[in-house]
Amino acid sequence: MSVETITGWPAARMRLRLPRPATLWHWAVFLVVAFFILAPLTFLIVGSLSDARLPTDIDFTHLSFKHYAEVWGDPSTYALFYNTFVYVSGAVAVGITIAATLAWVVERTDMPGKIWIYAGVPMTLAMPGMLQAMAWVLLLSPRIGFINQFFQSAFGLENPPFDVYTLPGLIFVEGLRLVPTAFLMLIPLLRSMDPSLEEAAAMSGASPASSVRKVTMRLMLPGLFAVLIYQAVTALEVFEVPGILGMPAGLYVFSTKVYSLLHSATGLPYYGQANSLAMLYLVVAVVATWAYAKVIAKSERYTIVTGKGYRPRLMKLGRWRWLPVALAIAFMTFSIILPFLVFLYVSFLPYLQAPSAAAFASMSLKHYHALFERDLIGTALWNTLILVVVTSTLTVVLSFLVSLVVVRSKFWGRRILDQLAFAPHAIPGIVMGVAFLWLFLQADKAGFALYGGLTSIAIAFTAGYISYGTRVMNAAILQIHKDLEEAAYVSGAPQWRVMWRVFYPLLLPSFVGVWIWTMLHVVRSASLPLILYEGQENQVISVLIWNMWDEGLIQIVGAIGVMMILVLLALTLCIRTIGFGRGAQAQ
Amino acid sequence: MIRIENLHVRYPTSEGEVHAVRGINIDIDEGEFYTLLGPSGCGKTTTLRCLAGLETASEGTITIGDEVVYSRARNILVPPHKRNIGMVFQSYAIWPHMSVFENVAFPLREMRGKFSREEIRDKVARALKLVQLDGLQDRPAPFLSGGQQQRLALARALVREPKVLLLDEPLSNLDAKLRESTRIEVRDLVKRLGITTVYVTHDQLEALTMSDRVAVMKQGEIVQEADPVELYQAPRERFVANFIGQSNFIEGKVSALPASGSEIGTAATSSGQIKCVLPAGFNLGDSMLIAVRPEDITVVAGGAAAAGNVVEGKVSATSFMGDSIEYQVMVAGAMMRMKLHPSTAVRQGDTIRLNLPEESCRALLP
Repeated sequence: MSVETITGWPAARMRLRLPRPATLWHWAVFLVVAFFILAPLTFLIVGSLSDARLPTDIDFTHLSFKHYAEVWGDPSTYALFYNTFVYVSGAVAVGITIAATLAWVVERTDMPGKIWIYAGVPMTLAMPGMLQAMAWVLLLSPRIGFINQFFQSAFGLENPPFDVYTLPGLIFVEGLRLVPTAFLMLIPLLRSMDPSLEEAAAMSGASPASSVRKVTMRLMLPGLFAVLIYQAVTALEVFEVPGILGMPAGLYVFSTKVYSLLHSATGLPYYGQANSLAMLYLVVAVVATWAYAKVIAKSERYTIVTGKGYRPRLMKLGRWRWLPVALAIAFMTFSIILPFLVFLYVSFLPYLQAPSAAAFASMSLKHYHALFERDLIGTALWNTLILVVVTSTLTVVLSFLVSLVVVRSKFWGRRILDQLAFAPHAIPGIVMGVAFLWLFLQADKAGFALYGGLTSIAIAFTAGYISYGTRVMNAAILQIHKDLEEAAYVSGAPQWRVMWRVFYPLLLPSFVGVWIWTMLHVVRSASLPLILYEGQENQVISVLIWNMWDEGLIQIVGAIGVMMILVLLALTLCIRTIGFGRGAQAQ
Repeated sequence: MIRIENLHVRYPTSEGEVHAVRGINIDIDEGEFYTLLGPSGCGKTTTLRCLAGLETASEGTITIGDEVVYSRARNILVPPHKRNIGMVFQSYAIWPHMSVFENVAFPLREMRGKFSREEIRDKVARALKLVQLDGLQDRPAPFLSGGQQQRLALARALVREPKVLLLDEPLSNLDAKLRESTRIEVRDLVKRLGITTVYVTHDQLEALTMSDRVAVMKQGEIVQEADPVELYQAPRERFVANFIGQSNFIEGKVSALPASGSEIGTAATSSGQIKCVLPAGFNLGDSMLIAVRPEDITVVAGGAAAAGNVVEGKVSATSFMGDSIEYQVMVAGAMMRMKLHPSTAVRQGDTIRLNLPEESCRALLP
């Protein structure tokens, strides 16, 4: 309450009625965020209604629901709904089943080697979806898949036993990718369960089975449901996995369909249809996110989320104790070890071939040399570095400023600002890409030549990631007791000194955390850059991998992939060691 | 030294405007230990924060020393970091990312350039010695106990040698035993330094033991301002009598005014005529309350002749408190509490006669 009044004073004395500079910067932050969230969305909507063939020919007098009629009139839209539904529910079922099993065995049984699961499962977050999908193509594609080739030669099969370019293939790969996040969400759910609730049921005469059913399960249900919806939204928004596994076989889900409308093989992009489909996609994602928020709000009413750690009784597994270990090893193998080995293997090969003595004999480092010799790769690496640094820094700074206004000011629009900053959370990357594509095309017409360049990608990424950044910053600033700040004021420190000496050091871990998190996501994401980039000189590494894979340069992709996985693993390790929580000391 | 004139604080909330401070006037002398006492929500902390500059009043004038730091009429508002004050927060607000030394050195470093490295070291060492934290300089601040953190906060507030020290319930987070010893320490320290101190508390014992003067606040207003002895012995309102110590209240009407040269008047109550201190301003027949403290009531021995205010009652409950026994006695349909020495041989169910000494019975406005 008082901070705002204090921030307004530049010198010893001033007139009370002057407009305060404090409110000015509040306004600036508000307007910037509002513009970069609302302007692209406006163009997304207008574009879906525009009859003009090109975004640059947009004319507000020619608006109609033509494109919506086209989308709804097309039978393939219903196939799209069906595919998306099967893919999302299948992936969530696979992911949650594996994650819940792993979480339960580490939390509630006496299995050995738990520390390795706690450390290992989250590390699989480092594996980019695009590379994961590519690795499984190399293993399970009907034509070149190593596993298929092995089965065919070993058992004399006529047809390859597996085909990864199918809905089950999509479900399997995306299911694996959902595991680490689901695992991280389920652990606290299991841990915050007060065992005395179960014990009370036992004392009331309930059998163990019935107390689990009537108490434990009931209490965990809303939390479990929340994890479910969250994972469904994630699967719905992913572009890279269905892009690699579905698009070549003509198997589309929402994200890939929108993309293919913009990158049609037969000429001009179908902007209008892409936008109206993106609107539909957006509605589905927003509804799911809204449902998630509702469920979360409801589950918080249960007392199980006390934030207190309990030590529940562990189930004795006896001679079965190695079963969960085997399960964990299998998961780690499928989700990171095997894909990495596949990349490593192909990166040394002169041409693609199944593992054999001859193959190993022909290995060389020439694709790694290529990394340093090809200008295209050098440019992409340099671009990626710039994009990552700019985006992460912008995200951290903007998130901090937004959270400062939201948490610590009396600015009239602070609630709206908070919601605006959180809104992109519900917007799939592809939709964000389409919306910003329109914004930059219009900006181009108005004389701001941002279209196709790195700046446009950085802006779009930042707009998307402040939804996460502001959540972290809100929490971190809330943890800094206001007295800490006021004690500095009464000790004689002016506003900017308080920022520098109290806020900055206490928030540093959060800054670093958000920075690395953003970096990890920017490097991995292909959807937004693929839609927004124009020209080879603006390629980033994810786009380059995508394009090289398309051109069949699999071994070089392998070499880049190996390097990328190693860097991402290192970064993931960093973020997990630093954590976000040191600010908690400030309480 | 500190002068607050007609201070009003209003702020908007979702349930409409709150008028937290309603026109208070305070005048504090140099070196005085002044306490704002009241229940939570009475506006005492808001007043203190206005004094610090952490909150902006809506109306009035605040002067610290010779400088007007806030004046609505003259559009003056000095920001907190330009007011030469020290403040101890209820939460202590020890910066967790700094060592003990750095916490105390902070205010000195903020007067950039004024002190050399050596001077800062000396001043910090002196401040820490003052609060008996010497030797803990290099310890990270979060590794201090509650009592040590409290003293660190005090050292930080004092290190600049401010003109004014503001203390916002600084003892409320300490355990009872520590609170008792710290009360005396803090008072001795600020008295020795001769620093003008404004203390905010809801604890009447702290207010009585530490202060030179106490202002009791209620709903944004000061209801009584007096030194601790007067406040205890001569509360002007039922609220004050009840908030500071315990009191029994007997309803009545003035039946006789004091003779000239005397303060003692008489009131007609359900327990008969009771003589009491009747301040000027009461008229014959006025409704009033008689307040009498439990520890002032005595028991009249069985057959002794009764002089003064003697009432009869039946003991309905006793509770042993260690240093005393507390009795609840039914007197003419009303419950009265009294405190007697533990050796007293009065039992539950006994009918006893109580003496309410007339100089201990005070008439209050109802």
